[in-house]
Amino acid sequence: MKLTSIQLCNFRSFYGKTPEIILAIGSDRNTTIIHGNNGAGKTSLLNAFTWVLYEKFSAAFASVEQLINKRAIAEVQLGTAVECWVEVSWEHEGKRYRTKRSCRVYKNETDIDAGKSELFMYVAGDDGRWYIPPEHPEEIIHQILPSTLHQYFFFDGERIEQIVRSDKKAEIAEATKMLLGVEVLNRAIRHLGEAKKTLDNELKAIGDSETQKLLRQQSKVEKEIERIQRRQIEIEQDLACQDTLKKETSHYLRELSAAKELQERRQELEQLKKTNQDSLKQSREVLKKAISTKGYTVLLSEATAQFRAIITELKQRGELKAGISREFVSDLLNSQRCICGAELHEGNFACESVKGWLNRAGSSAVEETAIRMSAQVDEIDKQAPTFWEDVDREQARIQQLRLVISQIESELDNIQEQLRKDPSEEIRSLQKRIDEIEAKIREITLEQGANQQQIANFQAELENLAKQIVRQKYNEERQILAQRRITATQDAIERLTEVRSRQEQQFRLQLEKRVQEIFREISFTPYIPKISDRYELTLVENTIGIEMPVAASTGENQILSLSFIGSIIDKVREWSEKKMLMVPDTSTFPIVMDSPFGSLDEMYRRQIAKTIPKLANQLIVLVTKTQWRGEVEAEMSGRIGKQYVLTYYSSKPDCEEDSISIGSRRYPLVRQSPNEFEYTVAEEVKDNG
Amino acid sequence: MTTESNLSDVQEPIISAAPEVRQIIERVCQLEKNRLDRKSQGHINDDIVKIIKEEVQ
Repeated sequence: MKLTSIQLCNFRSFYGKTPEIILAIGSDRNTTIIHGNNGAGKTSLLNAFTWVLYEKFSAAFASVEQLINKRAIAEVQLGTAVECWVEVSWEHEGKRYRTKRSCRVYKNETDIDAGKSELFMYVAGDDGRWYIPPEHPEEIIHQILPSTLHQYFFFDGERIEQIVRSDKKAEIAEATKMLLGVEVLNRAIRHLGEAKKTLDNELKAIGDSETQKLLRQQSKVEKEIERIQRRQIEIEQDLACQDTLKKETSHYLRELSAAKELQERRQELEQLKKTNQDSLKQSREVLKKAISTKGYTVLLSEATAQFRAIITELKQRGELKAGISREFVSDLLNSQRCICGAELHEGNFACESVKGWLNRAGSSAVEETAIRMSAQVDEIDKQAPTFWEDVDREQARIQQLRLVISQIESELDNIQEQLRKDPSEEIRSLQKRIDEIEAKIREITLEQGANQQQIANFQAELENLAKQIVRQKYNEERQILAQRRITATQDAIERLTEVRSRQEQQFRLQLEKRVQEIFREISFTPYIPKISDRYELTLVENTIGIEMPVAASTGENQILSLSFIGSIIDKVREWSEKKMLMVPDTSTFPIVMDSPFGSLDEMYRRQIAKTIPKLANQLIVLVTKTQWRGEVEAEMSGRIGKQYVLTYYSSKPDCEEDSISIGSRRYPLVRQSPNEFEYTVAEEVKDNG
Repeated sequence: MTTESNLSDVQEPIISAAPEVRQIIERVCQLEKNRLDRKSQGHINDDIVKIIKEEVQ
């Protein structure tokens, strides 16, 4: 990310639109210096960057709810809105970005209503055409420079030591992990593990166990069918056996002279009953057949009437003609001879006369069809009464047969009853035996029917199972694929875990080494910065051979913080250029520093002023006259690409004016306001010295 | 060992992976990088499963 410009409108002390503040992006002259006295709006400018990009403010930025310039609010009429905005432009990976955040307030009599801020973004690619990106602007910004990291690139130099304070250790550890790609690896490993679980579950759903279950069920049903079928055979044998038994018993009964007559009558009746039952069955079949073959005829009377009406109408209109047919006339013309013998040549009188019939004759095909259909329709009409007759007849017959059978049954009951009560012990016992056999036959016939039904049910189930099993076989291919996916995921997890363990070592040690180098370059103390395996940054000393934590001064901690930021920029740039997968894609980082080197003494100020422009790809420094003078100016002047002065217009009646000399010119820092408002104006320094 | 060789050593498990595994790793890492700063991590599982399914066919 290379910041190219910033422009403000009614933002805090800046009244109206500032000129576009163009920022230095050169490789040597990469530094922009913005001069301003205390209260001129340097902190506002730092926060203008973080407000646009992250909607966040630094700790020193007071009254965040009062973003809009007071003069702008005062000048607007009651009930109307006033807007403030900041537009920041930057370049990243060959694209240009313009981002504007705006906020409106409505002025009421008693109050000022602030609305929510809105963020807009335009992007231009290589072709220079500006477009609105499809992604959310916030997301684009966070991908380029995550918001959790912004405090290491946009900061208040007077408080920079706070990033290494003990209560911020976890925060800086998180940021380091993020910059070093550890967080990406952690999340990738965790999320791949979750994805693997999903794939495992999917495999289970289509899995082998399902096929196994279906196959088990199939064999169970098959066994059940076999068992019932065996039982059916047994039943059949049993039935035959019982039948024989019954016959024998009946026969024996007949042998007994006393029961002979009754028994003979019984057999006769049974025979009769069977004949009648057969007739009943037959009649039912006849009835069923009549309904299925002729039943429709009774429903067609309306349709046949309609058909006849159509035919009659056609005949009346002369469209259905009986007699000579068009096909016959055509034949005559084709054969070129009339039935009377006259020759029919094109143009002669006979031919023309015959041709004349072509239009008058009807088509024999249509006529024939009409005649045939009429005959069929007549037949249908005739069939309807026949059908009713058949139905009536068969129903009467069924009725009659039922009656006869019932009579026979009661007579049979009678005989049986007589036999049961016969004085002869033998006859009674034989009858009892027959009763038992019949009961047995009824019982197993019932079982036979039930079994038949069960077999049918099982067979339907079997068919269904077979279909499911075929479907499962299709799934086998999917299973193999799912298995391959799980294996690949597991492999990816293992490899990433290995990368993490190698990277943790490598990156942490390289970063630590670089922090130590930078710290040593700036500080004159023997202290050594350390990055623990939990990515915590500490300062230790080793004077007695044992590493001891240092109770570092604010100054030392400021140097440690700057060393850390510098080394992060340096290493991430290096890894990013080497296309290390996990580290952020950003290879260039800006640093925007307010009031740098706050409480440091001359030596440190000089060292930092010398080092920071080398480390950062781009540096924007907001300074007071005292912070700038002397060693800082001396060290940084060769790096300056752009320079601005913030002139503060004070509304205090007798304010003391101030100015700064840059190059050959003097630039005002504090001036008397021409009205009752205080405000700031930004002016570019033309001569950068 | 030089820094240069150490760095390529770090990525070696990715470089030596089967093409489909390498693709999965690269795409998942890119996805994670893009989402690093998002508060909600919702639906990332769906996206990762989709990547795996696309790469292993």
